[in-house]
Amino acid sequence: MANPLPRTDAAPDAELIAAWRTGDEQAAAELVGRHARALARFLAGAGAPDSDVDDLVQETFIRAFRSVDRFRGQCRFRTWLLTIGGNVLKDFGRRAARRKVLPLDETVGDVTGDPHEHAEAREAEAMLAAGLQQLPRLQREVFLLRAQQGLEYEEIAAALATTPGAARVHYHHAVRRLKEIVK
Amino acid sequence: MNDRLENLAKRLGTDAANRLDVEATARKVVERLREQPVRRIAWVQQAWLRIAAALVIMVGGAVAIRQNVVGSRGAHPAHLVADDLTDLSTDELRDVLTTFDELISTDSVAVPEGSTDLHELDAQQLRAVLRSLEG
Repeated sequence: MANPLPRTDAAPDAELIAAWRTGDEQAAAELVGRHARALARFLAGAGAPDSDVDDLVQETFIRAFRSVDRFRGQCRFRTWLLTIGGNVLKDFGRRAARRKVLPLDETVGDVTGDPHEHAEAREAEAMLAAGLQQLPRLQREVFLLRAQQGLEYEEIAAALATTPGAARVHYHHAVRRLKEIVK
Repeated sequence: MNDRLENLAKRLGTDAANRLDVEATARKVVERLREQPVRRIAWVQQAWLRIAAALVIMVGGAVAIRQNVVGSRGAHPAHLVADDLTDLSTDELRDVLTTFDELISTDSVAVPEGSTDLHELDAQQLRAVLRSLEG
């Protein structure tokens, strides 16, 4: 392992990626710290069972770090990571289908605040989550990258190897179908 | 409605993200990367093996093609003996056929209908008989 280079907290991702390429484990750990929660949100939004989110996050980072040579800065590291997360989740779904294990999505989180409001919010989120599962994968990922992660169409297009116009169309198709589900 | 959807989308997965122990996750990721570096090396080795195999196939194929091309250039073109018959006289043709007659069964020779003796054939018929011997 190479000796970690001294870095400031504000070191850009590119610097950490370059450090990881030389074997700096601390750089890898810092990248995990920066992007793990966003990745967990994306995976959970895309249908990962809560109980598996941690494992899927780890698997995504492992894949990303092992194939980091393929990251050429075509988009931000986080966006690239999220697309890898989408692939990891797809593989997980295939394995789960083979094992015929039903995901247990109905895990109850901490209930704080007004129970009624909480229940309503839960219900709407559940409807949205269910609606997302009915979308084609590309529409689902574009929707999450745009609405949940707040990315621009150009960024989404670069990550998914499509055009900004096509990404926009996918987003609008997704919104139209989700509106019918979440009324 | 779009705003409501986007607000919902922003909240989606928040609980799962909040439950994630980021430090522990980072530690586990680093440990797994440390424990399984062989896979990366194995992948590199596999990649080199594939490249080497592809090179062997390409070079082997190129050599085989080259040999075929050179071989076909160096080989003599098909030559029919019958093409040389035009210069022979009737007697010379008859001598050739007599020699052939001793070597080859007469069953396989297309002797013109009605003829039983080579001496009765004219030059054109003798050439035809020789050509038929060539197959």
